[in-house]
Amino acid sequence: MSRLAANLRIIGALGRRSIRQTFRRPQLMAPIIIFPTLLLAVQTGGAGSAVNLPAFPEVNGFLDFMLAGAMIQSALLAGNSGGIALAVDIEMGFTDRLLAAPISRFAIVLGRLAGTAALGAFSAVYYVVLGLIFGARIEEGVIGVLLMIAFVTLAAIAFGGIGAAIALRSGSASVVQGLFPLVFVILFLSSAFFPYELMLEPAATVAEFNPVSFIVEGVRDPVISTLTGEDAWKAFASIAAIGGISLGLSSLALRHRLRVGS
Amino acid sequence: MSAAIALSWPTVAALVRRSANELMRVPGAAIPGVLAPTIFYVGLTSVFGNLTDLRGFDTDTYSSFIIPVSLLQGAGFTGAATGVNLARDIEQGWFDRLLASPAPRPAILGGLVASASIRSLVPAAVLLAVAFAIGADWPGPLGLLIAVFGVMATGTVAALWGCTLALRFRSQSAAPLMQAGMFVLVLFTTSYAPRELLQPWLQTVSDINPVTQVVEMVRQGFVPGTVTWAETWPGLVALAGLAVVLTWFALRGMRHMAD
Amino acid sequence: MSAIEVRGIEREFEGGVKAVRGVDLDVAAGEIYAFLGPNGAGKTTTVRMLTTLLRPTGGTARVAGHDVVAEAGTVRESIGVALQEAALDPLMTGRELIRLQATLHRLPRAEGERKAEALLDRVGLQDAADRRVGTYSGGMRRRLDLASALVHEPRVLFLDEPTTGLDPVSRKGIWEEVRKLNADGATVFLTTQYLEEADQLADRVGIIAGGLIVAEGTPRELKAQVGKPHLEIAICDGEVERAREVVATLGRPLPAKDGLVLLELEGGAGQVAPVVRALDEAGLAVESLDLVEPTLDDVFVAKTGRHLETEDEAPAEEAA
Repeated sequence: MSRLAANLRIIGALGRRSIRQTFRRPQLMAPIIIFPTLLLAVQTGGAGSAVNLPAFPEVNGFLDFMLAGAMIQSALLAGNSGGIALAVDIEMGFTDRLLAAPISRFAIVLGRLAGTAALGAFSAVYYVVLGLIFGARIEEGVIGVLLMIAFVTLAAIAFGGIGAAIALRSGSASVVQGLFPLVFVILFLSSAFFPYELMLEPAATVAEFNPVSFIVEGVRDPVISTLTGEDAWKAFASIAAIGGISLGLSSLALRHRLRVGS
Repeated sequence: MSAAIALSWPTVAALVRRSANELMRVPGAAIPGVLAPTIFYVGLTSVFGNLTDLRGFDTDTYSSFIIPVSLLQGAGFTGAATGVNLARDIEQGWFDRLLASPAPRPAILGGLVASASIRSLVPAAVLLAVAFAIGADWPGPLGLLIAVFGVMATGTVAALWGCTLALRFRSQSAAPLMQAGMFVLVLFTTSYAPRELLQPWLQTVSDINPVTQVVEMVRQGFVPGTVTWAETWPGLVALAGLAVVLTWFALRGMRHMAD
Repeated sequence: MSAIEVRGIEREFEGGVKAVRGVDLDVAAGEIYAFLGPNGAGKTTTVRMLTTLLRPTGGTARVAGHDVVAEAGTVRESIGVALQEAALDPLMTGRELIRLQATLHRLPRAEGERKAEALLDRVGLQDAADRRVGTYSGGMRRRLDLASALVHEPRVLFLDEPTTGLDPVSRKGIWEEVRKLNADGATVFLTTQYLEEADQLADRVGIIAGGLIVAEGTPRELKAQVGKPHLEIAICDGEVERAREVVATLGRPLPAKDGLVLLELEGGAGQVAPVVRALDEAGLAVESLDLVEPTLDDVFVAKTGRHLETEDEAPAEEAA
């Protein structure tokens, strides 16, 4: 078997393990699916009359607008959760077991990210179905849905890389867990929940240039209108930039861990 | 009976002291309970601040409208954390020490819950400081008093909820349920907007949810800025009712610890 | 009146698991009673029932003259408890912990403080009293646990595995304390998995296995039941099986332990010489040979077919 094929097989095995871990422990699912769903419900129900504000974009309903925010929220939380799981592996010595095996070092990170990607894809499908059940309309149709799932999955991988980097550097689950509030800071400083033009300063300016806003808009456009070329490349470039940085940081953190030990 | 109550006060006080010790000796443990509602408060104000342009809001400042929600979220978080701590104490055997002593069960519960009520003031103080810094309206002394009372009472209710779950599941893995319960109770109210501007389904839910009355009670000093008995008594009744029901469940849970 | 009176006490858990299957015992006032048995025998479950932390699913028990179910509150006023976990709050200081215990037992503040100081002094923790319990060693925690169980001068003291995990020096220190307490008049009910602890400390021992008492009496009475000394023979060159065959007719073979050949001598020490001769004639080299008097472990083996302190199993020679 070629080296690449062997590595892919290992990444697949580690990815399957990380997926099994997540779905076998419902209390890990709660923050990723249940909390964002509750937040989506209450924000749609509570702030839904925002669609009547003069400068609000044309939408069929506030839910159509909010779906993208819920999906990206899940992607961020999936990334954080993957980081926590990797840190737990490090704390209990499982990572050492992998490092002592004749497998590529990066397979360890990529395996974890494969799990995060699966979680991201799952949550994207979940929110599409949820949205459709509660009356949302996806303007771009099936192509739009596929694009949304693709963006969210890639975003989960990119965010997962940051979680992995922090886990590898700190080796501590509680450090990664402590970053949970940061997820919400990032979301509030983006257009995840509201159009940035209608937010208060200084959050509005930050949101206008926040790469997470570009990603959200890439996921939102197929729902409320059509995905323009410009929005698509902005979303993709943002994901690529975050992913590039996060994978770079993971790589550095992994090297540091290997050099320094536990 | 009154002798039994009199003898219980030292137990309650001792347990409150223990809880205060925990807070002072590991102050970092209080940070999540302060940080989360503060981030939410500033975040929601920044994001939804222009909702007040809609007709139906009695105020121009969303920060004034939403501060009660954040105050109660902070209390809810603190109270739920009391439940998590109790679950930890049960898992580690510390709670057996209390159960094997002659201290009356209500006194033990009272001590746990009283400490939560006082600890709720920590995030509340930070939130109020931040609120006034970003322009929330001053609620007046009476409005502030009611807000503080609402926070402490909600902290008590949240602690009773957390303790009930801790005694039922005897494991820290019930923590998300403790947090989620309070999260839902506080947010599924007139939290984001006045009742008329809510979607119909949320109007119905908020009508049924007793915590809506508490939100309105705490909000009145900030928005519209006047405190009336009519806006106050429903909140008091809601808090009393929740406290009575949850106390019953918690004491029952304590009795069943020996099962 | 007995300090502890137990009749047919049972405890069944969910799933039909019966941890305690009908225990009867009486502990006289002023006695030290040791409950000896391996992990999972039902010791801790029994203690939890007697200290009102667990409700029996069958049978009755009275502690200090009160029923543990119907008069649980009164029982709690009369007992001191030091449980297996030594459950102490790591963030509290030793002094704070004992004072809290005093408050829980409704001692007036001044009296509680006075007793706390006396107890801290007694268990040698005065110097560490203002340090957080999280910084204490295992031995210090046990001593603190013991001290806080005594603050209200209980009539009956329950100690659940009080020296598990302690080094020998700390263990002896705890034994000293228990003897002193007993000399002051306390009834002590302790559980242990250590033979020496039961042997050294207890007036009477109850051996528990599989949720039932299999033997009860003073250490001397129990050992006399088993009665006879045995030889422990270490054979060179791993010829253990052959050695067993050789000596099988010269005494009663016992379940093997740690690779040794064990042989009970029906006729006492006089049978040592024939055994040595037989091994020599068979060309087996003996590394060591010890004549051992009966121990409580022998009692346990006789009753259950297993050793108390190792994992060896053998067919039960005598069912309980």
